Amino acid sequence: MQSFASLTISDLWIERAERDLCKGLSFSVQSGDVVRILGENGAGKSSLLKVIVGALSPEEGRIAYSGEDVTLDRSILQQDALYIGHSVGVKQRLSVAENIRWYCPDVCTNVLHEALKSLELIDYMDTPVKKLSAGQTRRVALARLWLSQKTLWLLDEPFASLDVKGVELLEERIQQHALAGGMVILTSHQNLLSLASRDVMLLP
Amino acid sequence: MNWAWFHKLGSPKWFYSWSKAWALPVFCFGCLCLVIGLVWGLAFAPADYQQGNSFRIIYIHVPVAMLAQSCYLAMGIAGVVFLVWQMKMSPIFIKAMAPVGAIMALIALVSGAIWGKPTWGTWWVWDARLTSVLVLFLLYMGIIALQNTIDDVLLANKAAAVLSVVGLINLPIIKYSVVLLETLHQGPTFTLTKKPEMPAEMWLPLLFSVIGLYCFVAGLVLWRMQSEILLREHRSSWVKQEVTENGL
Amino acid sequence: MTYSSFLKAEFLVLWRRKQDVFNALLFFIIVVVLFPIGVNSSPEFLAPAAAGIIWCATVLAVLMALESTFKEDHRDGSLEQLVVSGLSLPLLIVLKIIAQWLVVMLPLLITMPLLAEMLYLPSSGFWALIGTLLVGSPSLFFIGVIGGALTVSIKQGAMLVMLLILPFYLPVIIFSTLAVKAAQAGLPYSGFLAMLLAMSLLSLVISPFMTAIAVKASVNA
Repeated sequence: MQSFASLTISDLWIERAERDLCKGLSFSVQSGDVVRILGENGAGKSSLLKVIVGALSPEEGRIAYSGEDVTLDRSILQQDALYIGHSVGVKQRLSVAENIRWYCPDVCTNVLHEALKSLELIDYMDTPVKKLSAGQTRRVALARLWLSQKTLWLLDEPFASLDVKGVELLEERIQQHALAGGMVILTSHQNLLSLASRDVMLLP
Repeated sequence: MNWAWFHKLGSPKWFYSWSKAWALPVFCFGCLCLVIGLVWGLAFAPADYQQGNSFRIIYIHVPVAMLAQSCYLAMGIAGVVFLVWQMKMSPIFIKAMAPVGAIMALIALVSGAIWGKPTWGTWWVWDARLTSVLVLFLLYMGIIALQNTIDDVLLANKAAAVLSVVGLINLPIIKYSVVLLETLHQGPTFTLTKKPEMPAEMWLPLLFSVIGLYCFVAGLVLWRMQSEILLREHRSSWVKQEVTENGL
Repeated sequence: MTYSSFLKAEFLVLWRRKQDVFNALLFFIIVVVLFPIGVNSSPEFLAPAAAGIIWCATVLAVLMALESTFKEDHRDGSLEQLVVSGLSLPLLIVLKIIAQWLVVMLPLLITMPLLAEMLYLPSSGFWALIGTLLVGSPSLFFIGVIGGALTVSIKQGAMLVMLLILPFYLPVIIFSTLAVKAAQAGLPYSGFLAMLLAMSLLSLVISPFMTAIAVKASVNA
């Protein structure tokens, strides 16, 4: 993990389905920050995360990562970023373990078992994901937070369909990551006063 | 060289006001040329010594077939421009052009069939140029179908551009491959390097109708682009101002 | 994610979807069988038409298989993960197509001796047919995958993919049938194979970039 990293977004303007989103938005994130994106439904929270990670192109604006301009080529940022979107990107036909090996191929078996144990997925290791519930599927995606070494986490509603215990686990993990010098940007309706160090408000 | 015009082309507002001034004159000039060419060709030009009067359909068939190909070429270039420079006007151009090109290809096919009946004794021959115009027509229809099926504007823009570019690369290959499948068609009517073999009173009206049809289509496409611009930019202030001041 | 873990997962998914692959093969065989039954079952008709029939059936089967290339990945969000993985998207697409080609084309090639016999294809044409399939079919996959990527977000995409992509397949079909005809007449056919190879290479160069553009636009639709 990089010891010090930063993300700066300036004068953003996203256009989705004939609506202007995040017009003129600027903010920056430093190592150790947990930033929560707030806004009404349709204010562009998910779009903002997609733009940062490079799945969507903004109409205008500049994005810099650790001092380098990544507006046009996001690959430096992408190598450091872990993005979990609205559909979490877990392959339905693969088992839990296979899914994790797909995303984090270098993880050793012991670490994998530890993580799955704490996420209560160890019994389902070889079960195809399509047989799991929505909450369990999300846990499979969230297992990446324990197993990959990325600095910048971009989480779109990470608490959706998690139970109380899952929420606690995730909050704890996010705090750990921030303390270790990582950056987290998340959208959530959950009250995260204890967790988020800063809020960014999106005006409709 | 001054490249400012190229950047201006990317702005819908500038293009709208520019095309508003040009569409009507171009269209009227095209109509005039077309009428001169057609009347001259259909009524006054001498009959062909081999084909008699049936050759006169050349004055419709050749311009239309040329347009069918030129429209696709233009769309392909617009597609490249969009994929490389993200120019906003390109997808609007493609969208305006596709139905016009499809109709041109269709008229070329129908007029070719009508011409084929007296000359070859059959409505349809699987000859290289007929087949490639048929394929061209299908490509146009594919682009139109894709644009109508996809609701998301951004995706529809990209999709049409990608398909136009792939078509542009593929058309020469398709053409070359069907040429291999034997040809019955007569050689090209116009070539740039050689003097045409027909007498002047036969090819002059053809030239008129070709130029006329190009201008006719250019005017038509400009108008179609204008309405597409208004539709896409309806939220912007200049469109509101334009509509309230000048009407539609 | 790495290139090798991606390829491994691709093969695993294809293995779990073996019924779909088998369906494509069955579809191919049924289309081939339609011709002797529907048109004419005499050797005089079938022997010269065999290559054309097999190629038309191949083209349809390949397109049916390609239509769903990205569908599942799009639904569960793993397509989005590919876009943001930091790996080269065109290269990932090439790997995906290689996996698909192996899984779809190999079974098809294995049935070829049987089908060639059933269509009375003389042995002089058989190896030419195998050659055209080996050299020409990659271009089918590379061109077809563009259509698959463009229609990912559309529910009933199969018909549209056929409509968009089939015209581009014409040269491949023409060169292939000409090659087999030449072989049957005892003429050299390596020129046609070279043309097919050129088309496959051209599509290998262009298609991954076009497909990447289409995939990027599709994940946000």
